[in-house]
Amino acid sequence: MAAEPQGTEPETLRQIEVTVNGQRERALVPVRQLLVHFLRDTLGLRGTHIGCDSGNCGACTVICDGKAIKSCMQLAVQADGREVRTVESLSGPGEPPNELQATFTRHHALQCGYCTPGFLMSATALIESGAELDRESIRRGLKGNICRCTGYVNIVHAVEEAAGVESPEGAAGEGEGR
Amino acid sequence: MLLPSFEYARPESVEEAVALLASERNARVLAGGQTLLNALKLRLAKPDLLVDVSRLEELRRIEVGADGALEIGAAVVYDELATSPLLHEHHPVTARMCAGLVDRQVRARGTIGGNVCLGDPTSNFPPLLAALGAELLVRAPDGERRLPAEGFHLAPYMNRLEPGELLTAVRLPALAAGEGVGYETLQVGTDSWALARACALVERNGTIRSARVVLGCGAVPVRQPAMEAALVGAEPSEDAIAAAAELAGEDFEVAGDVHASAEYRTEMAKLMAARAVAAAAGVS
Amino acid sequence: MSTPTKTEPAHITTWERPETNRPAVGESVPRKEDRRLLKGEGMFTDDLWMNRMGHVHFVRSPHAHALIRDVDVSRAAALEGVYATLTGEEVKQLTDRYPQIAPEPGGRIKDYCLAVDKVRYAGEPVAAVLAETRELARDAAGLVEVDYEPLTPVVDTLAAARDDAPVLHTEVGSNVGWHGSYDFGDIEWALENADHVVRIPHLHFHRFSSTPLECNAALVNWESGTETIQILSNNQMPQFAALFIAPALGVRSDQLIFKSQDIGGAFGLKLTSYTNITAIALLSRKANRPAKWTEYRSEHLVGSCHGNERTFVDTEVPVMADGTILGFKTSAYDDVGAFMRYEPLGGVIFSQVLPGCYRFQHLQVDYRTVLSNKTPVGPNRGYSRLQHLWLVERIVDVVASQLGLDPVEVRKRNYIRADQFPYETPNGCLYDSGDYHGALDRALELVDYEGWRRRQREAEGSGVRIGIGIGSTLDSGTSNFGQARIINKDLPYSGNGEAAICKLDLGGEVSVALGTVPQGQGHETTTAQVVGDVLGLPPDDVWVQPGADSARNAYVAFSGTYASQFAVTGIGAALGAARLLRDDLLAVAAVVLEAHGEELLLHGGTVSVEGDEDRALTFAEIANLVYANNAALPPELADQVTLNHRYVYRPPFGVPDWRTKTGHLTLTYASQFHVCVLAIEEATGKTEVLDYAIVDECGTPINPQIVEGQVHGAAAHGIAAVLQETLEYDERGQLLNGTFWDYHVISCPDTPMFKTDNLPMPSPFTPTGSKGMGEGGGGPLHAVCSALQDALGPDVVVADSHNPTERVWRMLARGEGGGRAEVTSREAGER
Repeated sequence: MAAEPQGTEPETLRQIEVTVNGQRERALVPVRQLLVHFLRDTLGLRGTHIGCDSGNCGACTVICDGKAIKSCMQLAVQADGREVRTVESLSGPGEPPNELQATFTRHHALQCGYCTPGFLMSATALIESGAELDRESIRRGLKGNICRCTGYVNIVHAVEEAAGVESPEGAAGEGEGR
Repeated sequence: MLLPSFEYARPESVEEAVALLASERNARVLAGGQTLLNALKLRLAKPDLLVDVSRLEELRRIEVGADGALEIGAAVVYDELATSPLLHEHHPVTARMCAGLVDRQVRARGTIGGNVCLGDPTSNFPPLLAALGAELLVRAPDGERRLPAEGFHLAPYMNRLEPGELLTAVRLPALAAGEGVGYETLQVGTDSWALARACALVERNGTIRSARVVLGCGAVPVRQPAMEAALVGAEPSEDAIAAAAELAGEDFEVAGDVHASAEYRTEMAKLMAARAVAAAAGVS
Repeated sequence: MSTPTKTEPAHITTWERPETNRPAVGESVPRKEDRRLLKGEGMFTDDLWMNRMGHVHFVRSPHAHALIRDVDVSRAAALEGVYATLTGEEVKQLTDRYPQIAPEPGGRIKDYCLAVDKVRYAGEPVAAVLAETRELARDAAGLVEVDYEPLTPVVDTLAAARDDAPVLHTEVGSNVGWHGSYDFGDIEWALENADHVVRIPHLHFHRFSSTPLECNAALVNWESGTETIQILSNNQMPQFAALFIAPALGVRSDQLIFKSQDIGGAFGLKLTSYTNITAIALLSRKANRPAKWTEYRSEHLVGSCHGNERTFVDTEVPVMADGTILGFKTSAYDDVGAFMRYEPLGGVIFSQVLPGCYRFQHLQVDYRTVLSNKTPVGPNRGYSRLQHLWLVERIVDVVASQLGLDPVEVRKRNYIRADQFPYETPNGCLYDSGDYHGALDRALELVDYEGWRRRQREAEGSGVRIGIGIGSTLDSGTSNFGQARIINKDLPYSGNGEAAICKLDLGGEVSVALGTVPQGQGHETTTAQVVGDVLGLPPDDVWVQPGADSARNAYVAFSGTYASQFAVTGIGAALGAARLLRDDLLAVAAVVLEAHGEELLLHGGTVSVEGDEDRALTFAEIANLVYANNAALPPELADQVTLNHRYVYRPPFGVPDWRTKTGHLTLTYASQFHVCVLAIEEATGKTEVLDYAIVDECGTPINPQIVEGQVHGAAAHGIAAVLQETLEYDERGQLLNGTFWDYHVISCPDTPMFKTDNLPMPSPFTPTGSKGMGEGGGGPLHAVCSALQDALGPDVVVADSHNPTERVWRMLARGEGGGRAEVTSREAGER
C-alpha cells in the first residue's frame, strides 16, 4: 500500500487565526497539519503530548472553546477563529501551581508525567462544565484519558478534591490502612 | 500519525458544500473528524478534498416539526444531543445513549451525521435509527431526497449516498402513546468497544401491538421480522420476550475477530435483542 | 492511601515540603519532578530539536517470514529533501552482529539493526529513510520497494518448538534458543508418595504489553568533529545498550554519550531499542546530520517489543491429604518472538522465585526458550517472574479447587512462615523478609472477606456469580547478574551495582547525580529524602540532577531503571556518596572549629558544635575553603577532602553455581497479596470488579505515597492484562491488535479504586532496609484467575491468563475455553 510521494508537490497552506492561551496567533499552516502538531511544532508549546495514532489515549487533550477535545483529531485549520487552552495556561513558568495542579501533587496523581497535561485539561474542562460531580461521574468523565503509570486511583482523588467532591472514604483519611 | 496531502475547503452554505462534493470524485465530508482523521493518520483513506461542514448553521439545528417529528442537523455533536432538552423530551433513550458515547472529548466533536454515514459495524446510530423508523434527509446537486434509515447501509462503510450527496439531517418520528424504545449494548468496558448491540421500538397496549427489532454490530443493521412477529400479541413478559428472541439472528452477518467469535457475537446479539425489547416494553 | 495532606491549604506552593525537623525518609514528601511535569515543562525525547536534523522513518516488513531478494531505495533517495537511506545490505557491511546472551547454538543468531537477507516478523525494520521533514520521510519510505519471497511462518509456540517447524535462524538449527532444566529435591519421589497428584495438562500465560504512553524515540548525532555519538533517547538502560551498540558499530563505548531527561514510562520495553538507535546512528553518520526518530503507536505495537508468552505443559503437583503441597513439575515453553535480545535471561530469572511464596521442596522445571515469527519480547513489567508466579498461584488455586480445600487455608498451610526468614529456597535464593500470613489476613480484612462469602451465597441463582480470589506474588529485586552464567557459563557477568555522585557545588549547594534512568518513579525526590537526612538538609535543598547523562560519569554497566532495584541500588549509591561527603564536611569543620567529630551536628546547611551554635561553618564556607581557598587549610586536610564523591553500591553477591543452577540470585523479595471480588454475569460472561485489596510489603518505604503509586500502577496493568489486553496473531503471523483501537488499554472507569495497605518489614540485606518494588509481580493476573476459578468451581480450570468476556462465558455457559485437571489419589488405589 505504498503512498505516492508528496515530497515534490508544494504543501497546500491556509491562513488561520487562533487564540492560544489568551494570545492571538496568526499563521500559515499546511492544511494537513494536525492541531497537536501546530501547538507543539509551530507554536513550541510542548506540554501537549502524543501517545497514540488512533485518537484513543487523550494525551493530546486541550480545551477548545470551553470543551475538552483531542487535538490529534482536529486539523489546525479547524481551529481557525477558535480559542484553545493548553496546559501552559494553567500556571506560568516559575509561578505556583494552580489549584488543580496542587491537588495532583498532594495526591501523587502523576508519575512519568506524560499523560498529565491531557488529564489536567480534561479535568479542568470537567470541573468548569459545572456538572454535578461525584466519584462515578469523575471516573467516567476521565474515560478519554489513558494513564499507564498511576492506575488512575490517585488521579481520581486529586480531581475529587479539586472539584470539591467529598471522597467516599471520608474526610479524615483516604482508604484504609495508610 | 501524519496525514497524506489533500485539499481543504470550508464552504459557507450547504449548496456550496454539495457543489464541492460533486466537483471532486474523491472528496470526503469532514464534520467531527473523530473517525476520518484517524483513518487518514493510518493511511486507510486518501481523499483529495476534505469539505468541512462542521460550522454550517443549517446542519446544526435541532427542531420539532408540526407532526412532532424531531429533525436533527447532521453536524450536531454528541454532547449537544446528550444535553438537548428537545431530545430528552421526545427521545430520551437516544439522548442517554449520546451521553455515553466513547468519551467527553469525542462527544465534543463527533457528529450524528458522521456516525450514521460511517457505517462501521459498531457505529451507534444506524441500528437505533433503523429501529425508530427514522428518515435521512439528503441534499444533492439536483435537489433533496429522503431515505429511510433502515437499509441505508449496504455493507460496512458503504451507504446509499451517491457521490456529491450530503446528509443534512436525521428525522426521528414522534413516539406514539404506548411506544417505548430500547437500546442495549454489550461492551468490553465502560462506554467502550461494542461486541453486540440491539435496538427496539415496541408499542404496547396491554399486549405488544407492534415491534421493530434491529441487530447492530453485524455487517449492516438488520431487522428481525421473525422475532417481531412472535412478539406481536404477546404479553410483555420476560419469558415471552426470551422465547421470541430465540428467533433472532436472521440475516445477521457477523465476522469473528480477535475480540470475539461470530458464534458468541450472535448469541449475545440475541440476548441484547431480548433486553432491548424488555426495556422498550417496560419489562424489568 | 495518602498520608495526611488534607490539612494543607489549597493555595500553598506544594512542591516544597513544609519546614520540619523530622527526617524525610519515611514521609510522603511532595515530588520535585511535579514542578515541571505539571506545567508541561518536561523534556521528553520528541520535544528535542537539533539544528539541521533530519527525520527517520523505518520501512517495515509486511510478512512474518520471508527471504529478502532485493531492496530498492532509488525512488526514495531521488526525492528532494531525502538526506539518506539505509538497507540491510549496508548494515551487514557496516556493523558486526549484536553479541548474543545465549550459548551455542542459540548464540549463533545473527541479529542486526535492520533485517539482513531475511525477515522474521511482520513489522521488522528492513530499511530506513532520513529526510527533511517527518512527512517526507514517511512518504519517501512508501517508495522503497522490497522484493520478498514469502516463507511459511510459525506462530504457535509448541509448533515452533518441534523439529519439523519452519526454522527462523538456520544457524541455530531449530527454534529452541535455549533449553535448561531446574531440578531440586526429588519430584519423582514426591509424586510417587503423595496422597494426591493433580495434573494440569496445559496452562498458558498470554502475550501483552505495558504500552508506556510515550513510544520509543531517539535523536542521534554522529558528530564528526569529536567522533562522538550523541544519543538523546528514552532508552531506559543506556549502558546495557552501549554493550550492544559499541561492538556493533565498532566504536569505543566512551564514544557513546547518552542523555535523557523525562521518559514517559518504560516498564522494561525501552531496553532493546538499541537496535533502532544503531540504525539511526548510521543514518546520522551517512548524512552528516543529526537524525531524529519518534515511533508511532502502531509502529510500537508491532515493532518494538512484547511481554513473554509462556506455555506450561504437563504440570504435575503432589499433594498430601492435609493440603501440604510438596512441589511441582512442569515443562515451560517461553515464546520470545523472532530474536533473543534480553533473552534467554528469562530462562533463569524466573528461578529467583522458583517456589513462589511457598515452602515447596521438590521442584522441576524443564524450560525452553522458543523463537517464533512474532515481535521479539522485552523484559515487560514483572519479567519472567510474573509468568512463573502465575503458574505457581494457578497450581495452588487449582489444587484447592480440585480437592475441595479452602483456598485461604491451602495458601496458609504452604506459605513460608514469618519465623523462617531469611528463607533459603531449594535453589539457594534467599528471601530476605516477609510475613505472608499476616499480609494475606490484612488483605482479607480490607475486603471484608467473610462479608463477601456471605454475599456470594446470597447471589447464587441470581444470574450473577460472585467470585473471590487470592493472588500472592513476589517482586524480586536487585538481580545478581551472575545468574546469566546459569544460561551461558561463559558470560563474564556477576553481581550488580549502581553509581551516584554527591557533591558540594561552588556555593555550598548539595547536588547529586544518579546512574539510574527514571521514568516516573520519583528518583529525584526519594534520593533527596535520603541524602537530605544524611546531611541535615530538607529535601528541597538537595538538587538531584534530572534524568540521566552519561557525561556525569555516574554509571556502571548495570545502571538504569529496571527490575525493581532503585530503592536498593540507586539509593544505596546515593547514600554511600552522601556519607562520604558528610565525612568531608565533618573533617573540615573539625579542624576549622577545633572540635571533635562526635561534637559536630549537621543541620540546615551548616556544621556546628553541639550546644555552641556560634561555632559553626556553613556549607558555603566549606566549599570556599576547599575549592577557592585551599592554602588556608592544613595540607593533610586539603589533600584528603574533595567535597565530590562517586560511590558505587555493590550488593553482597557471590557468583552463582552454573552447574547446580543455584545461588543467591536476587537481594530482596518484596511481596504483594491481592484479594479480588468479581461479579460475573452468567448470560454474557461480563466481569466487573466489585472489590479489590492489596497489601504490599517492601521493606522500609522511603516515600509511602510513591510506593503506593507503584502498587496501583502495577495492579492496573495486571487487571488490564487479565480482562482486556492481549496481543494475538493470525496464522500468517499478522498482529491482530496493532493499534489502540484493537489493543484495549484499560481506562479510568474500569480500573478499581484499589484498597491498599503496607506492611513494613525491613530487609536485613539493604542499606536502608528498603526493597525494590516497582514491578509488582502481576498480582491481579493471579487474583482474577483465582476469583474466576472460585466462581466456576472445579469442573473447568482457568488455564489462561487472559480471560475476556467471551472466554468467561464459554467456561461458564459451555464448560469450554478453559483447561482441565485430573486428580489421582492414593486412597482410591488408582495409582
